[in-house]
Amino acid sequence: MLYYIGAISLILIGMYAVLTKKNLLKIVVGLSIVDSGVNLLFISVGYVKDATAPIFSMPSLTADKMVDPVPQALVLTAIVIGLATTAVALGLVIRLYDHHKTLNINKIRQLKW
Amino acid sequence: MEFSPVLYIAIPLFAAFLIPLLGKVSKTLVKLTPGIVFLYLSYGSILLFPKAMEKPIVQVVAGFKPPFGISLYYGATAAFLITMVTIVGFVIWLYSYKFIIREPIEKYYMLFMMLITGSTGILLTGDMFNMFVFLEITSIAAYSLTAFLRDKDGAEAAFKYLLIGSFSSTFYLLSVMIIYSYTGTLNFADIAGKIDLIPPMAKGFVLVLVLVGMGIEAEMFPLNGWAPDAYSQAPSPVGAVFGGIVVKAGLYAMIRIVFLFFKTPEVMQFLIFMGILTLLIAEMAAMRQHQIKRMLAFSSIGQMGLVIIALGIGTMGSTSAALFQMFNHALIKSLLFFAAGYLVFHSGSKQIEDLEGLGYDKPVTSFFFAVGALAIIGLPPFSGFWSKLLILVSVAKAGDIAILLLILTGSVIEAIYYLRAVVKLYTRKEVPDNVRRTPISGLVAMGILAAIILYVGLYPGVIEKWLAPAANNLLNAADYIKAGLF
Repeated sequence: MLYYIGAISLILIGMYAVLTKKNLLKIVVGLSIVDSGVNLLFISVGYVKDATAPIFSMPSLTADKMVDPVPQALVLTAIVIGLATTAVALGLVIRLYDHHKTLNINKIRQLKW
Repeated sequence: MEFSPVLYIAIPLFAAFLIPLLGKVSKTLVKLTPGIVFLYLSYGSILLFPKAMEKPIVQVVAGFKPPFGISLYYGATAAFLITMVTIVGFVIWLYSYKFIIREPIEKYYMLFMMLITGSTGILLTGDMFNMFVFLEITSIAAYSLTAFLRDKDGAEAAFKYLLIGSFSSTFYLLSVMIIYSYTGTLNFADIAGKIDLIPPMAKGFVLVLVLVGMGIEAEMFPLNGWAPDAYSQAPSPVGAVFGGIVVKAGLYAMIRIVFLFFKTPEVMQFLIFMGILTLLIAEMAAMRQHQIKRMLAFSSIGQMGLVIIALGIGTMGSTSAALFQMFNHALIKSLLFFAAGYLVFHSGSKQIEDLEGLGYDKPVTSFFFAVGALAIIGLPPFSGFWSKLLILVSVAKAGDIAILLLILTGSVIEAIYYLRAVVKLYTRKEVPDNVRRTPISGLVAMGILAAIILYVGLYPGVIEKWLAPAANNLLNAADYIKAGLF
């Protein structure tokens, strides 16, 4: 339960940062906090207390003593994807800074919605 | 060699990684590679299409049988949409051949191939998490392509798209997680069988997450803030990629999930409602635009609204009409973006005002724009007429006159702003003679699209006979489950 609360509060903190912060870098940091929150939440779903990795060559290990490996595999993928997104975002931030000489989102906004 | 559906993903991906290497050898090779890829993929479509129409092809990847491994599901709907993607992709390549002259061209083609990989992946995959991966491949390529021109506004549009897009994928990932935690599986067919294991509260939450997550890609109101900026700031062929390929894949994903897991009357009602909102608000916004590409972007959102309405009605007739409309919209909107791209290039301005008189100076490009405009409004003898007619007929059959009137209102607004742009083009005005001509590859690309639009308009039967199996495949969840789990 504690894990769930922790992960969900990370997601909320990240969203708060994305929605309220005016600095582009802080927004990108917020995005990556959201990512981490979702990943942690996913890991907690597959968590079993006192269990270990599902290694089938250990004869003493029974199924109820194994954590679910699927979420971990998925999260590994999700982390890589999150990294790629953050990298692209930072690249765009650099380009925006080159053009505008500021990171404040209010001063950049030129395109109307 | 046997052509297997996995090649639809593998070949563009391989090409994407091959292109930078080829770039070291020769630029011409880089430019030719995507064309070869699309020709090969359409060859595959010719082989597989008739088979998929009869019986879905389920391809197991990496030797784990479903529901454990990742499986690709090449059913009638996927076959229909993938064939559409190959056609549109091929013409976009032809158009880009002379349009993208700015360096680094190998990066452009690499990202373009990535985007094709992601979109065909979304259309093919039978696995929920795999869909997330392909969604992200598509999105990351799309963000970068939006900023391809390296200008101020491009970077800003791309950043906006990235912000909204990452929220979309986060929501989708959360929905995958909730479904996994209750059903313990990621295979679509398997989840559909076990969907009752999820308590109603969580189910509603998942539905909202999926609608928000995929709705962003499908440009559903009010999640489409990224679209006008991204469409108008990206290079013109990329606008066509968004309208013709990315959005269609997103919409397919959303509808597949909704139809498999959540097909209740309330959800369908909600889809109709959102579709109407999307249609009307987008058409009214398009009316107010002064920039031609922004206008096209809003019109594209409006068309997606129309498709969502037709899908929401959920009868056999309306679903096939919706698929037909998706097909037509992909072709027509690409044609419009192509023509608009060169019109903007020739006049040197993105404003509709400045297009005045171009109809006489650049007759062929303007003619293609006019064809596209008339087709998308839904005038005979173009293909847009039949799909709009089918949608209206199916709505009338469902007996909802209010929806019918709202769709007609939307269409009238659409007709007004398209005709306004066309009239502008053909208003006589002295234009300074400029020597820049539309290159032949661009004209051929537009010519192919216009020919298909006209041909389908005259003989709607060629497409119509494939619509019934495709719609049946989308609607019939029981068949999907049976085929997906074999």
